[in-house]
Amino acid sequence: MRTQSPPRTDPDAPPAERRVVLLGNPNVGKTSLVNRLCGSRHRVSNFPGTTQEASLGRARIGDGEALVLDLPGVYALDLNVSESSVCRAVLAGHLAPEGIAPRTPDVVMVVLDATNMLRNLALLGEVSRLAVPTVVVVNQLDEARRRGIHIDTERLGDAVGCPVAGVSAKTGEGLGELASLAARACTPNVAAPEGRDAVEAWAEEVYAVIAAPRSTPLRDRVTDRLDQAFNHPVLGVIAFVAVMTGLFWVVFGLAAYPMEWIDLLFAWLGGAVEAIVPEGAVRDLLSEGVVAGIGGTVIFLPQIALLFLLIALLESTGYLARAAFVVDRLMRPFGLSGHAFVPLLSAHACALPGIMACRAIPDRRDRLATILVAPFMSCTARIPVYVLLTVILFPESPALQAVGFTGCYVVGALAGLVSAIVARRTLLRGRSRPMALEFPPYRVPDVGHALRVTLDRSMVFLRKAGTVILGISIVLWWLGSYPHAGPSPEGDALRAQAVEVAPERAETLRIEAETLDARYAARRSFLGQIGETIQPVFEPLGYDRQLTIGVLASFAAREVFVTTMAVQVAGSEDVEDEGVMRAMATATRDDGRFVFTRAASWSLLVYYILAMQCLPTLVVTAREAGGWKWAGLQLAWMSGLAYLSAMAVYRVAILMGAG
Amino acid sequence: MRDQPGVLEESPPKREVRLTQLARGARGRVSGADLDGDDAALLRAMGLKPNAEFEVCRLGRTCIIALSSACGGGCRLGLTRELAEAVRVRA
Repeated sequence: MRTQSPPRTDPDAPPAERRVVLLGNPNVGKTSLVNRLCGSRHRVSNFPGTTQEASLGRARIGDGEALVLDLPGVYALDLNVSESSVCRAVLAGHLAPEGIAPRTPDVVMVVLDATNMLRNLALLGEVSRLAVPTVVVVNQLDEARRRGIHIDTERLGDAVGCPVAGVSAKTGEGLGELASLAARACTPNVAAPEGRDAVEAWAEEVYAVIAAPRSTPLRDRVTDRLDQAFNHPVLGVIAFVAVMTGLFWVVFGLAAYPMEWIDLLFAWLGGAVEAIVPEGAVRDLLSEGVVAGIGGTVIFLPQIALLFLLIALLESTGYLARAAFVVDRLMRPFGLSGHAFVPLLSAHACALPGIMACRAIPDRRDRLATILVAPFMSCTARIPVYVLLTVILFPESPALQAVGFTGCYVVGALAGLVSAIVARRTLLRGRSRPMALEFPPYRVPDVGHALRVTLDRSMVFLRKAGTVILGISIVLWWLGSYPHAGPSPEGDALRAQAVEVAPERAETLRIEAETLDARYAARRSFLGQIGETIQPVFEPLGYDRQLTIGVLASFAAREVFVTTMAVQVAGSEDVEDEGVMRAMATATRDDGRFVFTRAASWSLLVYYILAMQCLPTLVVTAREAGGWKWAGLQLAWMSGLAYLSAMAVYRVAILMGAG
Repeated sequence: MRDQPGVLEESPPKREVRLTQLARGARGRVSGADLDGDDAALLRAMGLKPNAEFEVCRLGRTCIIALSSACGGGCRLGLTRELAEAVRVRA
């Protein structure tokens, strides 16, 4: 982790905004507290040079507004984990989220869980040694009362010598008093002694003074039974498969409707631009580059947002921590840990949020291995390609199309797992950190919180992916549109014929002429010329010039393959039109054979399951893994595997007579 | 995590065993863990510290223990069998 330089002080500058940081163990309810303090006025931001993020918001503290910073949950400040390093650096004034100058916080709000006070007090002991203005927030008082635990917050204030508020972020209890108490934050009078043993002993002394716990722990039979079931070798796996099936059904079933609406909206926008802006390069750039580029990204947002929402809901129920252990058993043989579960699940919507979710994996080798293999999971951008190729391969059998479609997901996941084994036995050799997780109590999911998390994460996706994909779309549009080729000689000949025949026949000839013009323009464009030059590289995979252009055009984003092929072979971008689909299936090469021969279609299907055809993913991999060498490795491994596998499949298909 | 001999003077000395050798429902106290520094420090910060009292909720490839006095209320930790085997307890 790199720390930032302290800001220069300007004597004429206005007084800096008060800065409040929230510190606490995981699962103490800090996020709910930030939601209560800041309302919807908060956002997620990264700490530069780290894989950690913080919630940033503004809240009324005392008689002024303060910047509130929710730090990652930590069990202790002195641990050798990324979360603890970030918290230490922020408290020392060496680090701040992106866009904010680092400086020491004005107030440290230490959030303690009233139901786990003893462990939480050890963290307070560590903070007391830092001599920073502190206010202690004892959260979840309602839950503690339910369990028969009484916490005396006044005595706690006396014991540590700083303001203490007892609250319940869930019900709102005590929150009115918190803002005024935070304004009176002060350095604790009492500091815990140094060293882990001494801090724990101090925590026990304070706990004995402030708490009246139940003499016997509360037996929670429902939790016991659920834990038995969810971690059972058979029942646990069945529950996991059922939950995941439901999740995918919702993501793919429900998202289809808003995706269709977005598709219609952007089609209308493109048409509106064409109607308003005069014909020319600017109109083409806006309608074919900007609108199509933004539409191509936004169309996947419903699936991604639904996935985020369902993951947030599952997380708040307490199930995900249990599921991580089920997945850990399944993934250990492949060198991945249970922490990889949420990232790989998210990668089925889009590799970008999947890779970003790898931040939660504590072991560096586990994290890198998961980042490297996440793009093997079949993301939604592959769906149009899978649909096209399975329809071409099994034109008369919807059942076989469905089997083929599912098979693509299975092959992708298996390739990812095998690649993980290779990575863990070569570059990332070494023992993984065994998994230890706190199991949060089972709770009714907090829908409001899940919606806020979904909104935050979706906006991050749109900002980061949308800008990159938009840029790529514009470059691809330019390469595919220039130089303008003008009408094709074959098209001109047909148009000349059209003048001399009956009106019905003339119309058909003119449509054919337009198709020929579009193919001619695609061939003469920069992209077409590049495709012609590179085609020998893809010859062993069975791809002709047109397929090579499709593969090259989709290097930056897979879904571009279908529209590029439609433009080339059918002269139309409307791939929803069955006529265009049929035209693609029956389009011919320069030698008269079908473009999509069965052997070439199988080869393409395997290529698109395995290949790294997504530039934004490489950008995010480089950032999250800590360097372009990892993105380069990912690109080389996935492309090499895709190329060799597609070539092998093509050869086998030819041998079996599918040429 | 270091041993703290002599902490349990009130009761007769109990036999030290591995966490995984206990039965479901058994209660005990943590005496130490044979783990490298980072793993031991993390478990200790999570509440699995010397003399922490616990109850075994589940044994198997995932071990679940409920810490009571160690947390000052009650929290559940899930441990892989590999980790649980490294934890020494008195029961």
